[in-house]
Amino acid sequence: MRRRIEARATGMELIVNGKRREVTEGATLTVLLNELNINPLRVAVQLNLEIVKRERYENTVLKAGDSLEIITFMAGGAE
Amino acid sequence: MEKSDVLTFAGRRFRSRLIVGTGKYPDYVSMQRAHDASGAEIVTVAVRRVNLDRTQESLLDYIDTKRYTLLPNTAGCYTAEEAIKTAILAREVGLSDLVKLEVIGDQRTLFPDNEELLNATRVLVKEGFVVLPYTNDDPVMAKKLEDAGAAAVMPLGAPIGSGLGIRNPYNIKIILETARVPVIVDAGVGTASDAAIAMELGCDGVLMNTGIAGAKDPVAMAEAMRHAVLAGRLAYLAGRIPKKLYATASSPLEGMIE
Repeated sequence: MRRRIEARATGMELIVNGKRREVTEGATLTVLLNELNINPLRVAVQLNLEIVKRERYENTVLKAGDSLEIITFMAGGAE
Repeated sequence: MEKSDVLTFAGRRFRSRLIVGTGKYPDYVSMQRAHDASGAEIVTVAVRRVNLDRTQESLLDYIDTKRYTLLPNTAGCYTAEEAIKTAILAREVGLSDLVKLEVIGDQRTLFPDNEELLNATRVLVKEGFVVLPYTNDDPVMAKKLEDAGAAAVMPLGAPIGSGLGIRNPYNIKIILETARVPVIVDAGVGTASDAAIAMELGCDGVLMNTGIAGAKDPVAMAEAMRHAVLAGRLAYLAGRIPKKLYATASSPLEGMIE
């Protein structure tokens, strides 16, 4: 019972790549990418429809309800 | 071949005139081996959301960015707006400022929507991108794209993945006559001779994916394509004999045995 209350106090809900995700309260983009095991040098990030420059990841604090798109290069093309 | 016979666009020089893709391979290892066998120096990649359930292994683990130039494409985009957004995100990754611009007009043929393509080209050129638009074999369209600042024009040989080869060599020849930027055939190449034909016409390069990735032995086909592009280019530079309806004997008429 006590653990559940703690989780609610320290987590916040974001939308990451179209899916709801629970993230540490007050996390920065750097912290989130770390939690997701994503190399920041291989992605582009869009926060609430605005691109965030990589040098600002450390200083970008996420809030509940934020919507993130984390983009990278994948195999493929139309050919 | 002269050392100076290189593919150049936007101030970059490439020895290989074959551009390959990353889609439809059985696995990343065969993709990597096929890239190596192809001799290509430019590799196209798609721009997509990170798969959050599988961040362990990624495509970029299998492409040495010191060896290959990445060419992000806007595959899956049906409007100029979508393509522009995709290109901007692709550039943000920080690994390339090139964009293979695809704006698709029809889901079955995957033919380009030239109107949207031209709009997107203009915007992205102004934003400082090196734009390589995938278009059809219309010389009027090719000229418009070139005038809009495209670094090359990429007419399709046949529908993407169709393997039908160069369906309209005559139009491509006309495009080659007036283009002042490289002409790179993109889409439709099915086997080695298709690539050789494109190069024999005088094209500056060939871009293909399915032709290699979908082959029974992608690594062997990649090697075949490497030779085909080289052979076609050499044949073009060597200056072929004209086509004639009747025979012309090769041996002298004097000294015949009676």
